[in-house]
Amino acid sequence: MASIFLQDPILPAVALGTGLPFLAMALILIFTRHNPRLSSRISIGAISVAVVSAVYLLVKLHAATAPIQYQTAWLLSDTLTVPFGYLLDPLSLTMLMIVACISFLVQIYSLGYMAGDPGFSRYYAFQSLFAWAMMNMVIAPSMLQLFIFWELVGLASYLLIGFYYEKWSASQAGKKAFVMTRVGDVGFFLGIILLTLGFGNLGIIDINEAARSGSMSSLLITVSGLLIFCGVIGKSAQFPLLTWLPDAMEGPTPVSALLHSATMVAAGVYMFSRIFPFFAASPDAMAFALFIGTVTMLLASTMAMVTYDLKQVWAYSTVSQLGFMVMALAAGGYFAGVFHLTTHAGFKALLFLCSGIFIHHYHTNDMRVIGKSGGRRLVIPIACMTVGALALSGLFPFSGFFSKEAILGVLAGHPNKIWLAAGLLGALMTAYYSFRLIFFILFPAGGIEEKAGHAHHEDIHGHEAHEGDHGFTFWLMVIPVMILAGITLVLGFFQSSFEHFLVGAGVDAHAGEGGHGAGHYVLLVAAVSMALLGILGAWIEFGRKGAAQQGFLSKFPRVWELFARRWFMDDFFRRSLDRFVYGGLTSIFTRNDRRVIDGGIDGLCFFTIAGGRLFSFLQSGMLQYNLLVMIGAVGVIILYFLI
Amino acid sequence: MMTSMEMAQFPILTAILMSTIVGMLVILFIPGDRTKLIKQVSLSFAGLGLILCLWLYYAYDVQKGGLQFVERYLWVESLGIYYFNAVDGINLPMLLLTSIVLFTGVWTMWDLELRVKEFFALTYLLVAGVYGVFMSMDLFWIFVWYDVSLFPMYPLIAIWGGTRKEYGAMKLTLYLLAGSALILPGILYLWAQGGGQTFDLFELQAMGFSPLVQKVAFIMLYLGFGILAAAWPFHTWSPVGHVAAPTAVSMIHAGVLMKLGAYGILRLGMTLCPEGLAYWADLMALLATIGIVYGAFVGLAQTDLKYVIGYSSVSHMGMVGLGLSTMTVNGINGAVFQMFAHGVMTALFFSAVGYIYDRTHTKMIPDLGGLSKTMPVASSFFIVAAFAGIGVPCMASFWAELLVFISAVKTYPVRGIFALLGLVVSALFMLRVVQKTFYGEKNERWAHIPDVPLFLATPRIILVGVIIFFGLFPKLMLDVIQSAVVPFVSSL
Amino acid sequence: MNELSTYLIVAAILFSMGLLGLLQRRNLIGMLISIELMLNGASLNFMAFNRFLAPEPAVGQIVTLFIMGLAAAEAAIGLSIILALFRRMHSINVERAQQLRG
Repeated sequence: MASIFLQDPILPAVALGTGLPFLAMALILIFTRHNPRLSSRISIGAISVAVVSAVYLLVKLHAATAPIQYQTAWLLSDTLTVPFGYLLDPLSLTMLMIVACISFLVQIYSLGYMAGDPGFSRYYAFQSLFAWAMMNMVIAPSMLQLFIFWELVGLASYLLIGFYYEKWSASQAGKKAFVMTRVGDVGFFLGIILLTLGFGNLGIIDINEAARSGSMSSLLITVSGLLIFCGVIGKSAQFPLLTWLPDAMEGPTPVSALLHSATMVAAGVYMFSRIFPFFAASPDAMAFALFIGTVTMLLASTMAMVTYDLKQVWAYSTVSQLGFMVMALAAGGYFAGVFHLTTHAGFKALLFLCSGIFIHHYHTNDMRVIGKSGGRRLVIPIACMTVGALALSGLFPFSGFFSKEAILGVLAGHPNKIWLAAGLLGALMTAYYSFRLIFFILFPAGGIEEKAGHAHHEDIHGHEAHEGDHGFTFWLMVIPVMILAGITLVLGFFQSSFEHFLVGAGVDAHAGEGGHGAGHYVLLVAAVSMALLGILGAWIEFGRKGAAQQGFLSKFPRVWELFARRWFMDDFFRRSLDRFVYGGLTSIFTRNDRRVIDGGIDGLCFFTIAGGRLFSFLQSGMLQYNLLVMIGAVGVIILYFLI
Repeated sequence: MMTSMEMAQFPILTAILMSTIVGMLVILFIPGDRTKLIKQVSLSFAGLGLILCLWLYYAYDVQKGGLQFVERYLWVESLGIYYFNAVDGINLPMLLLTSIVLFTGVWTMWDLELRVKEFFALTYLLVAGVYGVFMSMDLFWIFVWYDVSLFPMYPLIAIWGGTRKEYGAMKLTLYLLAGSALILPGILYLWAQGGGQTFDLFELQAMGFSPLVQKVAFIMLYLGFGILAAAWPFHTWSPVGHVAAPTAVSMIHAGVLMKLGAYGILRLGMTLCPEGLAYWADLMALLATIGIVYGAFVGLAQTDLKYVIGYSSVSHMGMVGLGLSTMTVNGINGAVFQMFAHGVMTALFFSAVGYIYDRTHTKMIPDLGGLSKTMPVASSFFIVAAFAGIGVPCMASFWAELLVFISAVKTYPVRGIFALLGLVVSALFMLRVVQKTFYGEKNERWAHIPDVPLFLATPRIILVGVIIFFGLFPKLMLDVIQSAVVPFVSSL
Repeated sequence: MNELSTYLIVAAILFSMGLLGLLQRRNLIGMLISIELMLNGASLNFMAFNRFLAPEPAVGQIVTLFIMGLAAAEAAIGLSIILALFRRMHSINVERAQQLRG
């Protein structure tokens, strides 16, 4: 064992980085449940090791030409092998880096945000569980390992959404998230099984290789591709399974930042890009994915335009950006999709963590209330949030600008221009709803309301007073935010080197990215003007002095309701669940159990007993009747023998 | 055939069997009012069995496979009855399961007050039968041990039971006796067809029966054992029985006794009648699939915690049936693994509910709620079991389900897909129960109840540990199972 | 007159009277007496067959002696049952003793 470690430092680095969080979870749950300080230290210690090892791996392997793979058999049954190991290529290294870093930042941030919570240790245990599962998913060398940890990530998500389990809505949201992703996962699982049966090997490299070289039948690719895409639909909250994600905002805000925007929900997109050549080999599956991604992006954007809940806005925006990534990938833009995934992870985590500071401070999610209570006095958070919003809207020089540009470039290269139009429309709406939120906080209608007591005290001393109250926890929360803001500012400028790293290293999947041509500048202008238009619209309606802060949608109450109630998707699910599951099969089966099966058995017993009763009348207890029967029987026997 | 099997030096299988029988006798000789001593004695005999089984598991040579630790003596020459105990990869996990469940079950019942002596004596008799069925390779003894394991159920439920205990006990006993009324003719029929000279399983297998005989015998054995395995539509006794039984009996009953049914189908039906299996496999797969989906749906409507678990058992045992019916290595591997995993899982379920029921005196879901606030540890046991039931990875049952589904989709695509859809429903109903029972506002009605003390938590922790251990290292179990299943499938 | 059939007829009459009494009487003592009659009928048959047909003269008489012993034992047990019944029911009428009714 030791010799292996010495020969190859990659194995211990991966094992340490991805294994320690599990150990941390076990330690916390078993031993340090009643010691929150120690629990958080264990968890943060483990994730720091993960960050270090991710950095180490990235530095060591950034120039590697071939993916590095290591597998050991986790399970062997007949011809089926479930491997456990790692596959390190640019994509997984990138994602590993994202997951480790954002987990680390979020865990630091949580020290402040979750301080004093009775479930503090539990929180860190689940965070460690998530980090472990997510990192192992990222480095999975085969689809089966990916699926296994994909499910575990879902478990972590369930536990963390329902973290405040005493709140009914939180546990409801956790259940909804789990079941809805489960629906997608069943498709995913079936797709994997089909691949196992049809292809016999689930190694990611093998699948991609076979799909690229055409040695896999196209029918198999299409069918299993569509089924596997169901997993993406569930996990990345694509249409029609998108309503769980906004509900998942019931979890603590750092959880929303980490799981439900930056990393876990991006797992679907990650998986898509992981077996991108496989999907790319099936035009039908790609077309389907493109359609789903577009629909998702547009629907979610409309929903974000009408909500007043700070986190809901970012949740819808996450859904829509995930749809955007799926569009990019489905249009053939491997690099664009992954790049947007990366930048989005940064700026969306930033947005959520900033919102978390507001929510922590004002104990409300309502952006109007936050604005009126003086949200803009938290200077650093609002500044960082604006940075995030600018990146989300796709404005130079923030990271979102570059990745959005790349995606629109890919869409422009697609023969059907309707997707490009949808993308531009999405950009417009994105800018509109982001700045609607920003303006609500910056320029509350009617100015900042003065409040008595604690709030009044704060108004006098402003920001400083708050820092003085719990300065340390405040900075614990602000520093990660500032780091993320810094990343958002500079990440975009690494586009070309990132592209070289990601695509240059052997994956020739950027065939569709021919959009960077003559039309590039036209496109650039169009995209930026769309974003500016959106911001301008938000400014007119919400930002300028004396703005009504109503929004044009309030003039169309029906549309408003349609958007606010998520296009009635939840009602549809609820009703079909009630009608077909609870009211339908469940009640039919239950009644069958009670009436038919149990009724039949009980009836049989009843008839047995009744028959016994009937025959018991023959037993009169009269001695002489018995004798008579006996003698009669003897007589019959005699007659029988005589004749 | 016999020459290739070496006789073990120490009759460890008999020792395991004796640990229960001697345990029962010792308990019978202790005065009934010394309850503490009785509990200590029974726990130590259960621990002895556990240690022996663990050693057996450790000492079993996976590379060599086949029957090991053989004890074979002629008992009744004229009828060909042998005292024949042995282990292979199929019954070894079952023996381990039995010992784990007995040990934790006895420990779980530490608070028992009513007729302690009789309870533990009967429990030991029950488990003696279970051990006997699992280790015996002689048809006659299998049947005898099988009946030994059935009879104590009636008093155990009728005296120490809960909801509708007389009804439940009666229903269970009648169902199981109906099953045994099918098994006995099946066994005797095969014995007679084999010339009436031997009850030895492997000698009978070597004879090879005509297809017609196999078809007839298989359906008898399948239905007989299928009742015990709660195959749809013969499943209704099991939720009722679970609900009525006291905690440890529910644990043994759902955890082990139901496995006897599946094990019987595998060991007798499928070994002796491969052609009968091939003929009836379609029906088996159909019933199993219906059971999986049906159990999950009915579970959705239940309001009694134990009913919920009962129906989840129906669903999970359906998976065992589905795996067996595929007649592939993966399917049978998965089925046997599922038997083990489900055994530990339901034991944990019932043991978790047992604590809650002992303290709150209710197991109606609407009455409970918010328990996580008052007893976080006790609740977490149930929640872990629920996750295992949903099939979350890194828990033992996940691997079993994975294998079963892969082979089921291959062999019976349509049924396999329906069974897969059952997964969604089972997730829904497990999470629904967890939410309604444990989540929500702190329930003032139960606020005074203390969390589970460490002593009572220990058996549950053991069960959780087993689930997660074999979830993380499934190879340790599957290699053993596979060593028996591969030659078995190639002989089909 | 001194023929086998005469004895057989008498024995048959005795047996039939006993049977009739057994079935018809409701008094337990009466029934016991009727049983004695039936036993006597049977004994008479044995004696008659022994006298006219058997090569070995002693066998029939031995059987008859056994029957007499049997009858004595039966009477003893029967009467004690009747006594017990009377203590319990204050009657020796079989119609009162119908506890074995279904």
